[in-house]
Amino acid sequence: MAIATPPTPAAAERMERLEQIWESRPGILGWLTTTDHKRIGLLYFWTTLALFGAGGAEALLIRTQLAQPNQHVVSPQTFDELFSMHGITMIFFFIIPMTTGAFGNYLLPLLLGARDMAFPRMNALSYWIFLASAIFIYTSLFIGKAPNAGWFNYVPLASKQFNPGHNIDFYCLGIIFNSIASTLTAGQFIVTIFKSRAPGMSLNRMPLFCFAMLAASFGLLFALPALSADTTFLFLDRNVGTHFFDASHGGSALLWQHLFWIFGHPEVYILIVPAFGIATSIIPAFTQRRLVAFPLVAVAELLVVFVGFGVWAHHMYAVGMTTISMIFFAAATAMVVIPSTIQVFAWCMSFITGFARFKTPLLFIAGFIFMFVTGGLTGIMFVAIPFDQQVTDTYFIVAHFHYIIFGAAVFPIFGGMYYWFPKVTGKLYFERPGQISFWIIFVGTNLLFFPMHIVGLLGMTRRVSTYPSGLGWTAYNLAETIGGFVTLAGILLLLGNLFVSYFRGPPAGPDPWHGPTLEWTTSSPPPEYDFAVIPRVTSAYANWDPVDREADRLNLADGLLMLEHGHEQPTVTPVDGRLAEIAQMPHESPWPPVLALALALVFTMLLIGLYGVAGIMGLVCLLALAGWHSQEPPE
Amino acid sequence: MSGYSVPQSQVGRPTAWWGMTILIASEATLFGTFIGTYYYLRFKTPTWPPGGIPEPKLVVPLVMLAVLVSTTVPMRLAATAARTGRLAATRLLIAVALVVQSGYFAYEVHDFSDQLHRFDITRNAYSSIYYTLLGADHAHVLLGVLFNLWLLGKLARGFTRYRIHAVQAIAWYWLAVNVLTIAVIGTLLSARA
Amino acid sequence: MNAPREDRRCLAFLVLAVVPLAGCGGSQNALAPESHQARDIATLFWWMMGGAWVGLGLVVGLLLWSWKRRNRRGFGRDVEGDKPGEKRSWYAVVVLGIVMPIAVISTLFVVSDLFVIKTTQAPASTTTKLTVQVIGHQWWWEVRYPGTTAVTANELHIPARTPVRVEVKTADVIHSFWVPELNRKIDTIPGRSNVVELDADQVGRYRGQCAEFCGLQHAHMAMYVFVDEPSAFRRWLAQQEKPVEAPSSALAERGARLFLDGPCSSCHAIRGTDADGYVGPDLTHVASRATLGALTVSNTPDDLRQWILHSQQAKPGNQMPDFNASGARLDALVAFLEGLK
Ligand code: HEA
Ligand code: HEA
Ligand code: HEC
Ligand code: CUA
Ligand SMILES: [Cu+2]
Repeated sequence: MAIATPPTPAAAERMERLEQIWESRPGILGWLTTTDHKRIGLLYFWTTLALFGAGGAEALLIRTQLAQPNQHVVSPQTFDELFSMHGITMIFFFIIPMTTGAFGNYLLPLLLGARDMAFPRMNALSYWIFLASAIFIYTSLFIGKAPNAGWFNYVPLASKQFNPGHNIDFYCLGIIFNSIASTLTAGQFIVTIFKSRAPGMSLNRMPLFCFAMLAASFGLLFALPALSADTTFLFLDRNVGTHFFDASHGGSALLWQHLFWIFGHPEVYILIVPAFGIATSIIPAFTQRRLVAFPLVAVAELLVVFVGFGVWAHHMYAVGMTTISMIFFAAATAMVVIPSTIQVFAWCMSFITGFARFKTPLLFIAGFIFMFVTGGLTGIMFVAIPFDQQVTDTYFIVAHFHYIIFGAAVFPIFGGMYYWFPKVTGKLYFERPGQISFWIIFVGTNLLFFPMHIVGLLGMTRRVSTYPSGLGWTAYNLAETIGGFVTLAGILLLLGNLFVSYFRGPPAGPDPWHGPTLEWTTSSPPPEYDFAVIPRVTSAYANWDPVDREADRLNLADGLLMLEHGHEQPTVTPVDGRLAEIAQMPHESPWPPVLALALALVFTMLLIGLYGVAGIMGLVCLLALAGWHSQEPPE
Repeated sequence: MSGYSVPQSQVGRPTAWWGMTILIASEATLFGTFIGTYYYLRFKTPTWPPGGIPEPKLVVPLVMLAVLVSTTVPMRLAATAARTGRLAATRLLIAVALVVQSGYFAYEVHDFSDQLHRFDITRNAYSSIYYTLLGADHAHVLLGVLFNLWLLGKLARGFTRYRIHAVQAIAWYWLAVNVLTIAVIGTLLSARA
Repeated sequence: MNAPREDRRCLAFLVLAVVPLAGCGGSQNALAPESHQARDIATLFWWMMGGAWVGLGLVVGLLLWSWKRRNRRGFGRDVEGDKPGEKRSWYAVVVLGIVMPIAVISTLFVVSDLFVIKTTQAPASTTTKLTVQVIGHQWWWEVRYPGTTAVTANELHIPARTPVRVEVKTADVIHSFWVPELNRKIDTIPGRSNVVELDADQVGRYRGQCAEFCGLQHAHMAMYVFVDEPSAFRRWLAQQEKPVEAPSSALAERGARLFLDGPCSSCHAIRGTDADGYVGPDLTHVASRATLGALTVSNTPDDLRQWILHSQQAKPGNQMPDFNASGARLDALVAFLEGLK
């Protein structure tokens, strides 16, 4: 059980000391200079939630325009910007930063039994860069120059010749800018997972959530460079006059597509894997059993990302590739299904053989399984190349990926919001409205996305700003739009519930769910130093090991393993988790926001074509980096 | 057993080394996509280099490559010297490497602009990927030079554990840059085959 | 159309999908195939959909079962060690999660990607009887019949029961040629030409639409495929090959002069006159077409008039500027164009 309350006066005094060492500055300045993973996680959370609102507003505008045939709610220009920004926002500025930046940052050290990330200042930097890139790309929308060639932005439509405005420059630079933040987060997570676990937590004792984060981070690390290369080429083509994508000068329009999807397909698994991680946290807690087939699931989480690197061309079956290469990619796509089915049935078996309590978080996970399987099954249909060639670029595809993305990536986010709400706030949410919010969202999303399958088969192509009547599409589109607004209502109820609970909810205590992992051993909300005693770990369900938790309490009384002499954090050997050294962690730094600001200026200058000034700003960035590194940890 | 004994000497790699590994992995992937692009464009173009562009020169790039790669030796030695606490040797080795690397960089910048006069980056897809690949590689050399300058500045005020880790990480960076440069030059010279 | 079968399928959908399928047999319906290719694809789909419902049913069944066994008491049950039946759960995961999908997906893969794919592959030039070139423009389709002088726009005429090789290209960005009732889609990629086969069973009119996002008016880049009896097709082609005839009335004569002297001829070609622009569609037989602006408006004298005046209103952003002409000049232009049968 939790070790929030000090057992002896001496222990109380030591905790007091820890408190002083780890305390952040008060006020705004504290938030600006913070390196606390929990604060950074919260910053990420609020920012991405707001961006989700923006992406959702764009989606609902799209749906309003498409509710009836031949409408003029928005102009074709605006429509193109809306769906492009919707896709870009949801993928790059909502799901990825929400799952990694918010959930990952807040929870990873807590689940690993660590006090902070491996590189706390870099962590802060990733947030500030992310924020700056979001502001950067949303500026384009407000000045009416938002990206307008879709989230995969095919050339030559995106080339200067067919798209002379700054719209696509915003896309190129915004995406590169954003991917710097994601790369920092990914690298950060990998090192943290390998180096900052609690001593004793060998890899096989690591919670599945951490495996999921590891898989997502590896995915990001190796997928993003392809996107960066691609957008760099496009930026050069547009602004320097190179010919990477220009068929009349030896370039190739398909090169863009290959590079984009080499990133883009791994990306979709990067979106889903953290959701798997959240699911595998919630299921044990609410079935009160260890997950069935733990090792298989851990391997599957890693494998899905790994195999996902070899399937990209299944997004390109209509470009006229040779049959033999299409068959190769179809076979790879068929293979990538196996890790998902393993997980689905491991979850289902855990549901059945555990003592399932269908509280709101578990309801969301059950809904998630339903939606994931539905979307996954249409995904499998695309293994059949002729069928994919028939439905690609129709609403059938839109249905597939919203089932998987909304149902399978966002549902666990909602579930996770309920599940960890008591940990983060110290309050319980209200159960009844929680369950109602689930059912509204569940019904809403199915009403929103199911008809898209049918309307796609009836021939409705995607990215159309309007459509004629008489093709049998109208009723479905209307249903979808209604479903969209029902979904909005459900989300608002969810947020409202949490909002009210924050002020009115009953106190939660450290461990309201009898949760399986280490975050439930510490108080709610966790202290700035996370754990008063570095926890002892002998299994992946550390909070269910009473002997170990008793040992923690004894250590607290005896003052063992409290590391209360400085900003300290143990590091371990990467695989078997033996203690390697006690590292001194950096603390509070003003440099991350400064560096992010300088970087934002670099990108702004590149946008307006002042390359010389951009170079000078680049030097400023280097100076900021030097300033950053002038502060060395104590010996 | 509720306590842990903290090892006195360093066990495993320092966190800084891990951080550098992540950077290198990401950069190597970036170069991988550049090189992939090079061959993608090459195999769809009948004559290579196209458009009357001369084949890349052979001897000078190889000599320069050898010069750059030779600095791996002092960098590795510096890392060892740092680990064993020999400050003067570390400084000297890094300084030697830095001089050679700066010379290399200066020559390459000169050569780059020279080539630009002969065929422009906007000529065709070949020239585009050629200069992008080469320029990206030079940028990494420049970054390494800056790293070394910064390191010498730090070492002017003696060793700390932090600085020793920095020497190790930067030596690791240089090794990676040298390997990347070999890959890049190899790719560009493959146009002669 | 074989309506009864259609209806049965609608019914199947209705039952299985719970949502009623309005407009079954609509004119751009991938599930109303009118060629052996489209039929193979549709059949493939029905089988996959059946399988998918079974798979989904299985998972939903498992979830419902767990709901039946749910725990209504408090937390903190015994979570120590393995449960009885742990082994069985493992087996279930291995069988359902590895063995079953491998079996199902291998079957799907072999059937669809080794066999069905043959019917939708790009045809060899020896197996087809006729080649048509389709060139995508922002935002309309140019159609050419190699070996003849015929050029038209936004409609494709082909003979029934005849394999036709359609070569698709682009004049600008990527488009995608798609007539779902006849075959799968194929993109138009700059710098290369792709091929797809059309082989319609019966006479009729099939709607097609550009499927790859290509800019502002991607939504209004549709076309019709007219499948005619071979003899009717040959007659149509001969007619389209003819250059323009002399205007039949004075008004039309005036219109012709206006057209040739005005801005029109810089963008449009009319074979047999000096007009040879290539920005817009060839108008040699524009009056014979069913619609204007890639199915944006129908082709009546009134619509034509409106189109010339305000094409930017019907199809905002399209590449043809509005032509501010007084009534008389417009009458002349319309009279001329209406004569171009
Ligand atoms: C979270 C994101 C996510 C995930 C996880 C997936 C998962 C999968 N996707 Fe999806 N996909 C997208 C997001 C995602 N996709 C997006 C965004 C696009 C469109 C991009 C764009 O064009 O804008 C897309 C497009 C897309 C295409 C291209 C379509 C086209 O444009 O023509 C294809 C083609 O193969 C595909 C396939 C698959 C497959 C096989 C899976 C598999 O991994 C699914 C595996 C899951 C299961 C199989 C469920 C488990 C099922 C059971 C347990 C039941 C029993 C099963 C059997 C008997 C087999 N997806
Ligand atoms: C994570 C990914 C994600 C998510 C969650 C969604 C969610 C939704 N999407 Fe999605 N969509 C994409 C990713 C996503 N989409 C992508 C990648 C594309 C392709 C783009 C392209 O073609 O380029 C696409 C395309 C796309 C289209 C096709 C456009 C076209 O082809 O023309 C449509 C059409 O209906 C649509 C609708 C919706 C709707 C109604 C929702 C709804 O579910 C949204 C519901 C959400 C809300 C209603 C927001 C509620 C939030 C708040 C209220 C927060 C408030 C908080 C604060 C203010 C702090 N989307
Ligand atoms: C700047 C170029 C341009 C000029 C000038 C121009 N057009 Fe067009 N025209 C187009 C384009 C492009 C289209 C196809 C628009 C679309 O469908 O997106 C078109 C379409 C048409 C069509 C419909 C053809 C079809 O089959 O759909 C008609 C009729 C037409 N133009 C007549 C005229 C007349 C008459 C004039 C002179 C008054 C004229 N155009 C001047 C470019 C031009
Ligand atoms: Cu042409 Cu879309
Ligand atoms: Cu994919």
